[in-house]
Formats: sequence, C-alpha cells, structure tokens
Amino acid sequence: MALLEMERVEKIYGQGEVQVLALRGVDLEIEEGEFATVFGPSGSGKTTLLNLIGALDKPTGGTVKLNGCEIGQMSKNELAGLRRKDIGFIFQSYNLIPVLSAYENVEFALTIARKDRSREKKTQKVKDILRRVGLGDMMHRRPNQLSGGQKQRVAVARALVKEPRLILADEPTANLDSETSREVLEIMLRMNRELNTTFIFSTHDPMVMEYARRLLEIRDGMISRDERRS
Amino acid sequence: MYLLTIALRNLLRRRGRTFLIASILALAVIFFLFMESLMSGVMDTTFSNLVDFETPHIEVATGEFFARADDDQVLPPGESFIPDETVLAEIRAVEGFSALTPVLDISADFAAGKYEFPVMVRAIDPGTFGEVFKTGDYLVGGDFIEGDEPGVVIGEQLAGVFDLEVGDSYVLHLHGQRGAPVKLQGQVAGIVSVPNPDMNLRVVLMAREPAASAIRLDEASANRIMVRLENRDQAVSQAEVLGRKMEGSGLEARSYREAAEFLVSLEAWGYLETYFILALFLLVGAIGIISVMVLAAIERVKEIGMMKAMGLTEGEIVRVFVLEAAGVGAIGGAIGCLLGAVVVFFMETYGISMEAFLDLGALGVPIADRIYGAWNAFSFVVIFVFVVVVAVAASLVPAYWAARKDPVDAIQHR
Repeated sequence: MALLEMERVEKIYGQGEVQVLALRGVDLEIEEGEFATVFGPSGSGKTTLLNLIGALDKPTGGTVKLNGCEIGQMSKNELAGLRRKDIGFIFQSYNLIPVLSAYENVEFALTIARKDRSREKKTQKVKDILRRVGLGDMMHRRPNQLSGGQKQRVAVARALVKEPRLILADEPTANLDSETSREVLEIMLRMNRELNTTFIFSTHDPMVMEYARRLLEIRDGMISRDERRS
Repeated sequence: MYLLTIALRNLLRRRGRTFLIASILALAVIFFLFMESLMSGVMDTTFSNLVDFETPHIEVATGEFFARADDDQVLPPGESFIPDETVLAEIRAVEGFSALTPVLDISADFAAGKYEFPVMVRAIDPGTFGEVFKTGDYLVGGDFIEGDEPGVVIGEQLAGVFDLEVGDSYVLHLHGQRGAPVKLQGQVAGIVSVPNPDMNLRVVLMAREPAASAIRLDEASANRIMVRLENRDQAVSQAEVLGRKMEGSGLEARSYREAAEFLVSLEAWGYLETYFILALFLLVGAIGIISVMVLAAIERVKEIGMMKAMGLTEGEIVRVFVLEAAGVGAIGGAIGCLLGAVVVFFMETYGISMEAFLDLGALGVPIADRIYGAWNAFSFVVIFVFVVVVAVAASLVPAYWAARKDPVDAIQHR
C-alpha cells in the first residue's frame, strides 16, 4: 500500500461567485522512502497540495489517504494526532519557537509526538539528531542567536526527531544561500537514505530539483508531469 | 511541562507589557488588602468598643424594652424585672459563658449649673459589672462605683460639656414610673475616658440600689441582663439558643450584632464598597489581559500555525495562553500580596488617625482613637487566587480565538 494516495482531489477556496479552483482532480501516489519535489509557477497549487498531504487542510472533493487514513473523514483532533506522530514540516521561514533553544525546539516536537517516554532516551535522541545536522555545539542557542542556515537545520532536526513517515518541506531553501542550501539538502537526503523517511518538497529552486528522485510538475491545479529518476 | 515552559518564557517576551498589567493587578490586590485590613480593624475595634463598654455579647430583656431601646425612645423603668434563679441558671448554661451582670437603664436629664443634657443612667451591680464591662479600667479621675454609694461615674466628654471634676455636684432627673420625673442629686465620684464616644458622652453610671429606690423599684430590679462569653464569635449562635430556651418567659435574648444593626449594615456597606472598587480595578486588569492576549495571539500567529502543524490540539494551544495569563495574574498577585503585607503591617503597627477626615463618633461608630488594621491571612490567599482566576477568565476568549485559527492561514499569517 502506498504511503499517500490521492484520487480526483479538488480544492476550492472562497464562496459564492468568488471561487478559486486551486486543485482540479489530482491523482497521486507516493511510496514510502520517496524523495519527491513538487514544482511549478506561483499560484499553480503547490502549497495547497502540500497542505492536503500534510493533513493541514481537507479536500473539497476526492479522497486523500495518508497511511490508509482518509483525512477528509477525520476530526480536527484526529488530524492533529496524525500530524503529531506521522508528519514533519519544514517551512521556508523556519517557524521555530523563539522562546525555546535549538535543543528545546527539537525536544518539544519529540515530547508532543509522545513516541519516546524515557527522559534519557529522549535526551540522547535530541542530541544525536542535532549532531547529525551539524548543530552539536549550538544546541542551547535560541533561534535569534542562529543564522538562517542553522535555523533551517534546527527545523530539519525538529521534523526528523520524531521519526515521522513523511516530511513536507515548503520552499525549504528559499531563504538560504546556495552553499547552505546544498548542506541542508545533503542532510535531508542522508536522512532519507538512513531512516527511509519520505520527503516531499515544494520548490522553485533548481538545486532542490537536482536532488529529487521524482519530479512532479503542477500547473493550473493539475499534475502536468510526473518524472522518476534513478 | 513544555506548554508551561513556553507560557512562562512568553511572559518575558514583552516584559514591559507583562509588568504593566501585573502592576494594575498588584494595585487591585494592595487596595483590597488595605481596605480589608482597615475594615477588619475598624469593625474589630467597633465591636470590641461596643461589647466592652455598651452592649456585651448577649443581652436579655423584654421584647418591649428592646423595641424602645432600638427606637431611641425614653427607657421607663416599667419594663424592669427581677431576674429569677431559673433565668440566671439558663444563661449560665450557655456555651462559652463567662460572666453576667444585671443593669437598670433609665432615661434621664443630667444637669449641672443651668444646663441639662439627655443621658442614659445605667444603674449597675458593682460586684459583677467589672466582669462583663471594662469601663472601670479606663478611670482617669476619682473612684469607680463600689457598694451602694450614690456617686456617679461619667465620661470625660460629658464632664467636659459641664466642666465637671471629681467631687462636683450634679442633678439627675430620672424618668420614673408613669413618666413622673424623679430628682436625684449627688457628686461625681469618678470620670472615665473610654474609647467609645457614645459612652463617654451619654451614659452615667451609678449603683443600682440608690437608682432603684429613687424610682421606687426593688433594689434587685433590672431591665437588662448583660452576658459576656469567652468568644465574640459564639454570640450569635448562643443568643439564638438562649432565645429558644426563654420562649414563654417573657424575656428575649439577642446578640450584640442584633443590638447594633446600624453597625452591621455599615460593615456590610464597607465591604460592598471595597468589593466594588476591587471589581473596578480588576476590570481594568482584565481588559489589560484581554488586550495583551489578543496582541500576543496576533504577534504569534505563525507560531500558533506551526504548533498546530506539529500536532498540538486547540485545547493545548488554549492552555499555553491560559498559563501565560495565569502567570501575569500570579506575578501581579504576588507583588500585590508582598506590598500589601507591608501596608497591612504599617496599618496594624501604627494605624491611622481618622480625625482629620471624619468624626466617627458623630457617625455612630464607637471609635474615639486611631484606627488600626488587622491581619487576615485568608484574605491574602483569597485575593491571590481570585486575581489568578480573573486573569485566566479574561484570557479564555483570546486564547480560543488564537487556538481556532486555521493552521494553513496561521502559517501564512493570513
């Protein structure tokens, strides 16, 4: 069974006469361990697609099944539970909690996922993931004491620490220089290989597309190209 | 635990704002503690001065006598009785009983020179009066009443009105039986200065035997039996118990609180006023908290979106805001309690003189000296909890507003 199954998915924003058809009958399957990129021009529906995959939003029509669960039928709390355990998010503007240190931001994600109850194991896991993203010596810094690249690494660590089945990254390199972008992408690729975590990116960045093993082009709310690379 | 950590650290994000709102709440707490201490002190002194010099914990008399006394009517000796042993035994059996003394209160006009002044003559039993009242301890001149001597003891204020000293002569026109005035004259035996203005000015104490015989009553006659208990708090319940026991005897029992309905109302009004002003302060504080929480929710909308994306439920996000508001309330409450304790300490130690502001005696409040505050640890606990509860209640609407934001809109700050 695929990790993600989307059938004839539609998403309409607005009401009455002012309606925007953001997705028009999208069919998509994503297998476990994929490293896929959704690209396309602005307003083509990339973010809408990611929001539906990430159980942040419900489709207007069609079905979205994540891990066998149809998100259109789930309550708010069930969706929160799904996101808590199985989905990690990485955003363009990092969205770290400013009052928590890098370590605490990552530990917070692990705590709310409620996957690891032992304090010692949790500490070990957080330290380990922060070392793996290259922040072993900066874990007690607050977000305002970190550079853009370092913040994005914390965001990556935060998304990975709970070992979700799926990580969604919305324009993760948009605020980073090319060298830092490459470093962050390398980390994500390594995690994909080591942990078999599925990554789906939404991007304009050609560098991200270089790394992707599956390219999904979206135009006018429909997937216009689906290309797999070896 | 993490929600608490986030909430507490959020408090420090906008220190100025947190401090401002906490200060308003602290002001409310200080005001409340000051007023509560003042009210407790005033009422404690008021009732002590009432119980120690005027009306003790329980008084027993006929219903007609109580009605006349309450209406400030002339007290004729017609409602007098000779307390029998059964009645006295019932009074002594009251829980917490300490002492009793019979008195004969008679309306009179006090004259010295060419002036007259309406007073109440309290004819006392010198042997037991001191066990119930403390008037004797406040003698400033002469001697207190002993035996059946005809001399009177008057208050310093009454002495001042007539420019009397110990040994000076007086004339009393007692309202005798059937309204006929009875003239009684003698000398001032002693002058007292009690902290109850009414007793200082309007009461003349004398031995019961000469007063009773002047108005042709048996020397054992009394129209009130004054009862002192070990504890003021027992008065109301024990007066009720005694009242039930005396049903059918023609006598009634009532506590000092029933006898001083005006003071009880004053106490209620005082507290009502305190709570009203407290409510105004807290309303300002609550509005402040609502504004702070709304601003915080707007400022942190992306953060809220991220938290929801990470899987936090609406309830958990509400908790972050509520904990933060509780923190503001706790800081305000703690500062208020600390500063309030200093204020109450000064109130209790040094008190304040109300002379410059108002004449309490003229208002019918039996206090002639400074007003002292009183400690009430329970008030500190109550106001602290109350302020935190108000802060939490004020945060609920903005907290739910923030928590219900759509995660997609929140992340994109729409």
